[in-house]
Amino acid sequence: MRVVCGVRARVLWVWLALMALAVWGGVRATYVADLSAFLPAAPTGEQRVLMAQLQNGATARVLMIGLRGGEPAQRTDASLQLAEALRGSGLFEAVHNGDHAADAATGAFLFRHRYLLSPAVSAERFTVDGLREGIADTVSLLGTPAGVPLKPLLWRDPTGETVRMAEAMLPANAPRSDGGVWVSREQPRALLLATVRSDGGDLDGQAQAQALVRTRFAALAAMAPGLTLELSGPGVFGVASRARIQGEVERLATAGTVAMVALLLVAFGSPRALGIALLPVASGVLAGIVAVDLGFGQVHGMTLGFGTTLIGEAVDYAIYYLVQARAGGHAQWQRTRWPTVRLGLWTSLAGFAALACSGFAGLAQLGVFSVSGLVAAALTTRFVLPVLAPQGSPGQGLRVALGRVTARLCAELPRWRRPLLSLTLVAAGLLVVLPSPWRGTLAALSPVSADALALDASLRADLGASEAGTLVAIEAPDEATALQRAEQAGARLDTLVEHGALLGYDSPARLLPSPATQLARRAALPEPGVLRERLAQAAQGGLLPVARLGPFLDEVQAQRLRAPVTLAELQTAAPALASAVQAQLTPGGAGRPWTVLMHLQAPAGAAGVDAAPLWAALRDLPDTRVVQIGAELDALYAHYLRQARWQAALGALAVVALLAWHLRSARRLGRVLLPLGASVVLVLAGLTLSGQVLGILHLVGLLLVAAVGSNYALFFDHLQTQAGEGTGDVPDADTLASLLMASVTTVVSFGLLATASVPALAAVGQAVAPGALLALVLSAAFISAQGRHGRIDRPQAPVRAR
Amino acid sequence: MLGLTLPVSASRAAAFDLDALMAQLAQVKSGEATFTEKRTVFQLDQTLESSGRLTFAAPDSFIRETLKPRRERLAVVGNQLTMSQGSRSRSTTLDSVPEAVVIVEAIRGTLTGNRETLERHFTTQLLGAAERWSLDLVPRDARLRGQVAQVRVSGRQGQLREVQITMTDGDRSVMQIEPVTAERSP
Repeated sequence: MRVVCGVRARVLWVWLALMALAVWGGVRATYVADLSAFLPAAPTGEQRVLMAQLQNGATARVLMIGLRGGEPAQRTDASLQLAEALRGSGLFEAVHNGDHAADAATGAFLFRHRYLLSPAVSAERFTVDGLREGIADTVSLLGTPAGVPLKPLLWRDPTGETVRMAEAMLPANAPRSDGGVWVSREQPRALLLATVRSDGGDLDGQAQAQALVRTRFAALAAMAPGLTLELSGPGVFGVASRARIQGEVERLATAGTVAMVALLLVAFGSPRALGIALLPVASGVLAGIVAVDLGFGQVHGMTLGFGTTLIGEAVDYAIYYLVQARAGGHAQWQRTRWPTVRLGLWTSLAGFAALACSGFAGLAQLGVFSVSGLVAAALTTRFVLPVLAPQGSPGQGLRVALGRVTARLCAELPRWRRPLLSLTLVAAGLLVVLPSPWRGTLAALSPVSADALALDASLRADLGASEAGTLVAIEAPDEATALQRAEQAGARLDTLVEHGALLGYDSPARLLPSPATQLARRAALPEPGVLRERLAQAAQGGLLPVARLGPFLDEVQAQRLRAPVTLAELQTAAPALASAVQAQLTPGGAGRPWTVLMHLQAPAGAAGVDAAPLWAALRDLPDTRVVQIGAELDALYAHYLRQARWQAALGALAVVALLAWHLRSARRLGRVLLPLGASVVLVLAGLTLSGQVLGILHLVGLLLVAAVGSNYALFFDHLQTQAGEGTGDVPDADTLASLLMASVTTVVSFGLLATASVPALAAVGQAVAPGALLALVLSAAFISAQGRHGRIDRPQAPVRAR
Repeated sequence: MLGLTLPVSASRAAAFDLDALMAQLAQVKSGEATFTEKRTVFQLDQTLESSGRLTFAAPDSFIRETLKPRRERLAVVGNQLTMSQGSRSRSTTLDSVPEAVVIVEAIRGTLTGNRETLERHFTTQLLGAAERWSLDLVPRDARLRGQVAQVRVSGRQGQLREVQITMTDGDRSVMQIEPVTAERSP
């Protein structure tokens, strides 16, 4: 152990201090694994609606529960007991299972306020003819099962406001009811629909609610074996995705580190060298994490997953130094080899920096992580490693054997130049001829398994909870205006329903009319004397004797004095109704408007709702827009892809410009670019032939092939130039072995990424792993590293310490 | 009140059972009829009367249109239930409203000769013979039995002639049916 002193000691201390800071920063960073990586930074109005829904909308808080197996009677009991347990837990706003007894409080509230809430109340209703009509309507239901709930209320509600309210709230697609609870039509399954209190974006809260459902169900299932639980919904997907991303990141990081350690041991055969080689890796990873946390306020799991590839890239710098410095010591390495490594670093940075400017948070984090990580790793190699290992790596490992193999390959490969070139041209031709593989969608980026999606679709079909295809979104500054605008939009949509352009629509104003409407209804209620007179006339010859209608008169009077019902009142008096209103009316807050979301139902047999007549009908209403979720998501993805193409092009241009500026020779530039271009073409052709659907992250991967592969091409170019000039630096097998090892570490770490079960991560790995390997092989083939004499020297003995 | 209460005697060449009745009814693929309905409701002094038109078509379409005293329409096609009163119309799935299922399936199931549907929702008791028969249907579900005590459907040969609904709280409804056209299968 030598004594280090002076400048060199200072470098070590500075580095240690920075590392300590980075560890502290890394531990304090916030790690997330939700959808935030995929949301745009500057949303349009439609995108804002989507994001608000995803983060705090009621659709994001829905949990669909299925109870499968056992006997029907057991499922019914389990459904009732589970619903009761969940309602009592306080974690759910509402739990629906088709049991009407649970709606008793809501029904009572609606009944108490029927003259403000019923859609039939108007001035005409309380004329003699109107009263007569209303009574006749009610009477026509008596004696049928539909009239059974009316009978006890007959003397208080002879005009049938209860019926009219029930009609207005009747869902078009209700699930089947059997034994008093909701059941599936096609499968032996009871159904429940619960709304979780926590926001859709609060994955911890969602996870807690799901865990509660599972524990309560387990208690029930102990009594009725054979019952199984099925859960689905946006919250389930969010929590499962997060768990999956976390699991993948851990697996990749562990496997990546183990693989690196194994490779390094093979290469160096010395634990000390291994330890030194891992220092740039550690610096790079920590620097990346801290940079992303400082820049974005949080670190996404996908960034960490991708960042595991940094392990493979950062270790390359250590390998270059430790192997190549053996020949002439660190001073010589810094003079002769460091410039090439540095140029390779710049080209890699050019590639990643293009990503860092993306408006797509996920890509931007990848860019920032990689840029800071690579810079930190390179600086550590340049300044810290020479202090710790001034003569390079002490051990030999299997490098001699590797060196011989590599030397043999480098001699052989140039003979394959022509065939490889022809292969590249064939591949380019294929790319022109084959249909475009760039068919990726935003859905393909989602880490949700196909099974989970199928279960979700089946539960939705059973419950009638359709996918939100087309919505009308209305923004307003407060509750009253929001409901009023909803009523205006509803009136326009009614004409479309009449013409058959729409089957129907949902509106919160059906459940809770705006204060203006309620006041208008209240004004329509006549005075006691007037009403008694009109009622007497209307009931003449009718079937309901006036004498018994006293309670009706009293209740109308009570409602004349009542203030309009608001959402706040519903939340205390009829929480289930409040929850149903909030599913369509998202309350606003500081800086956020109240949002109404009206789901539309397409006519039977139509593929979807036609947007053109909708826009025409709603054109002049304030802050009202039609949002087609599918189209919005596709547009978002297309926007990202366009941006990514621009960024990839700019990144590639930056790489080329850098190379041109440094090499100062068109011939050398062409020589360096040829293997890079060829590897990109071959990888793209291979992916297209394999039938893979390509998306944004494949594009990112191709850019990285160029950025990472440029390191190898530059090394070969440097070696060839020096050999051609006849300067003393003859290439030796050790240098080539270091290139091979660097390439292997990169290929292994990206190859591990390609095995990720998260599609977004796997996409990058699929492009870069073969690309990096091809870049090395093609560089060796196209850029001959042999000296003028056509020989490659044996590795020299390490220089002894002076 | 038609329908003999004597069980079928064993001396008949072919015993008249539910299968035979269903086969007989299933032969009539579609038909139209007029109906008059009388309802007694114990809270009211008078009997409620209404009349109108019934249409059905195999396998699962049934429409009841009341013309007097008010225009109303109840249409069931498959699992879709549409009720209209005047200009207002609302539609929902039939099986989400068990109370409607009782009445609809009692009539539609009988008209189309659908034995599985009837047995699924009701316990059945057949009385009478092919020329005059009566089928007592009691809902299997306890909850629904709390509302509808019994539906008695009676008819002649393959035609429905009368539907009697007895509610648990004592209300009754008797619908007399007069066929207008009937399309038999060859």
